[in-house]
Amino acid sequence: MLDVTLEIFRYKPGEEPHYDTFAVQVAETAYVIDALDEAWALYDHSLTFRHACHHSSCGSCALRINGIEKLACITRMTDVWDGVHPIRLDPLRNFPIVSDLVVDVSGFFQRMSASHMQITRDAEPILPVSVDKPALGVQAEAISLPENLTRFNRFENCIECGICMSACPTMATDEKFFGPAGLAAIYRACQQTDDPTETAHLLALADGEHGVWRCHSAFECIEACPQAVDPAGKIMALRQELIARRFKKSGR
Amino acid sequence: MEPFKHPGFYRVGRWFDLRRRKAGMWAYALNRITGIGLVVYLYLHLVVLSLLLGGPGSWNAFVSLARSPLVLVLDVILFAGALIHGLNGVRVALTSFSRGVRVQKGFFSVVMVVTVVTLAFVALKVFGG
Amino acid sequence: MSLPHIIVIGAGSTGSATAHDLALRGLRVTVIERGEVASGTTGRNHCLLHSGARYCVTDQESAKECIAENMTLRKIMPDLLELNDGLFVALTEADLAFKEPFLAGCAACQIAAREIPIKQALKIEPLLNPGALAAVQIPDGVFEPFRFCLAFLATARLNGAVVRRYTEVTDLLCSGKSVTGVKVRDYRTGKTETLGADLVVNAAGPWAEVVAAMAGVGVPVLPTAGVMVTLDYRLNNMVLNRLNKPSDGDIVVPQRATSTIGTTSWTVEDPDLIEIPPEHVARMMTQGQQLLPVISKVPTRAKMAVARPLIHKGDGDGRVLSRTFECFDHRSDGVDGFVTISGGKTTSSRAMAEHVSDLVCQKLGSSAPCRTRDVPLASYRLFFQ
Repeated sequence: MLDVTLEIFRYKPGEEPHYDTFAVQVAETAYVIDALDEAWALYDHSLTFRHACHHSSCGSCALRINGIEKLACITRMTDVWDGVHPIRLDPLRNFPIVSDLVVDVSGFFQRMSASHMQITRDAEPILPVSVDKPALGVQAEAISLPENLTRFNRFENCIECGICMSACPTMATDEKFFGPAGLAAIYRACQQTDDPTETAHLLALADGEHGVWRCHSAFECIEACPQAVDPAGKIMALRQELIARRFKKSGR
Repeated sequence: MEPFKHPGFYRVGRWFDLRRRKAGMWAYALNRITGIGLVVYLYLHLVVLSLLLGGPGSWNAFVSLARSPLVLVLDVILFAGALIHGLNGVRVALTSFSRGVRVQKGFFSVVMVVTVVTLAFVALKVFGG
Repeated sequence: MSLPHIIVIGAGSTGSATAHDLALRGLRVTVIERGEVASGTTGRNHCLLHSGARYCVTDQESAKECIAENMTLRKIMPDLLELNDGLFVALTEADLAFKEPFLAGCAACQIAAREIPIKQALKIEPLLNPGALAAVQIPDGVFEPFRFCLAFLATARLNGAVVRRYTEVTDLLCSGKSVTGVKVRDYRTGKTETLGADLVVNAAGPWAEVVAAMAGVGVPVLPTAGVMVTLDYRLNNMVLNRLNKPSDGDIVVPQRATSTIGTTSWTVEDPDLIEIPPEHVARMMTQGQQLLPVISKVPTRAKMAVARPLIHKGDGDGRVLSRTFECFDHRSDGVDGFVTISGGKTTSSRAMAEHVSDLVCQKLGSSAPCRTRDVPLASYRLFFQ
């Protein structure tokens, strides 16, 4: 068992933000969400935090562990605890803080809605599929469809956790910035559609004042993303497309 | 129930918050610092040039000040800032055309190595002869 | 005349679907949830959209309910499902002997099942145990539990429902023999308030007993925990089930870029704090490897445990208990204005909602019909806007 101290950001409307400490005991194999759950269950039901699926599917348990954005459900305690100091838990940056670790994600979801990205898509034609790791001694194998299906489908990699929005330094000073996840979603939505009007609409959104040109290449979104969405890579791909279209227009 | 928001000046600090962040963030912060530094220098430069209006006397006084070791050190720092900002600018421009996003961290290392080597050469020239 | 006000306790799949159903019938609805949406049982989910085949031999009532709801959910939330079907795979002679009753059970429950040649199964699922003896294809699917609830709640909100998260019911208000509202604590402000209601629906899952006790009544809910292990790779396209009676670690559900092995089963006292027993994790890894041998080489991404609300009818271990739901009108216990809906599965939550909403309407003297079978749900993203 691990005897760990959690130092958790607390804020309630009308009060000064501060940190509270909770001593918890968790198994060596525990994840940060288990420790947080224990602090809540044993000590303080007024400790608010977001969580649902506990397996990196819902995207709600994103927070900052010792300053860096992580999903609490897939971050092992042993990976973030040095054995001595408390583990500090903060809410995501660049979001309004509602209560303790709970942030207001409405602006973020507005962007995701505006991106028109469908949350499900066609699946890869191979197995195994991993979020970001090369296959560990497992050969990638081509798959074929059962007779009655025309395609396999799956959920998008992006789980809308908001981690990239917190990691992005540009986001800190431009509240209207569409953000890494929003722009990456626009890129995916462009790939999902065959309709040129829709593509033009999406590219205009990306080309706007708070679109792709606001990114100043810190690439922290790529580092922080738990789902290998590669937001900055997609922002750059959108820029390339926008520039190519501008050249085409002026060439005519 | 008003949600809590950090004030603007506090949020600007996030440009330079490098704790546990990766190379891309260092490049971002360095690019901002050198950028601000170069703008300050530009205005300083214009002020210095305006000394010419005061005739040869004031200009000569300035030139002798410019030869002092302190100013020479500042010159080297200025050169470093220009190098970092310029070379990183090439890196940012390339990645903006979707070239080398995957190797941007290595790219930043190259920027820094070239900066250090060039700076060593420049420092030798400035102080050595 | 103001509309009747219904308070729904719990924003898991049951509470969310119930809020949607009642709001669609034109009632005034407030949902009280002590944490985030789906932060209890629903969240920590296999994510299996049941075809019912899993229960077609042991529990046909559940199986029929599953296949009907499976088809309905495909209609009302088509964009929120991975629809790749599933396979039941025989690995041993004993499994093979189960094939006939299984196919008969599927036929009896009207679950479209068809045996496919094992060679073809291995082409579709290249990482499946090459020693597999038989494979039956059934219409399983996969959902995402958080967005599943959000879609119901977003639609309910568009129809006027209010959802209060981070607010816990601390007591029920009673007047005579009737529940007339709830006392809540809003954890964002720390304030305690009372909310009046014409009727209170207890949809607190494994916590249903705790809520019912506030009205001095009992519900036969047995919090039964299960462990699930999520792997770092998606190893299968279709849901893979062991062709046999349900048992530990006999199913691997793929989702997004992961696969989840489930599950075990044991009774717990306190659903708030469940430790993950390491031996359960180990058992699931070894069981899972029988279906997909490659699991031995694959790292773990997450481990989770949560209590399911099983309705207990006499003695028995959790798995033998029926997976169907039960709706309790506590008038029979001498308390009016208070109903409990519990048991069931996420797959059957819409049907549970229909059932309890019918009861609510009957108690209120309303004749508004259920429309949730046909009304497509709004985008889950609207919940946050």
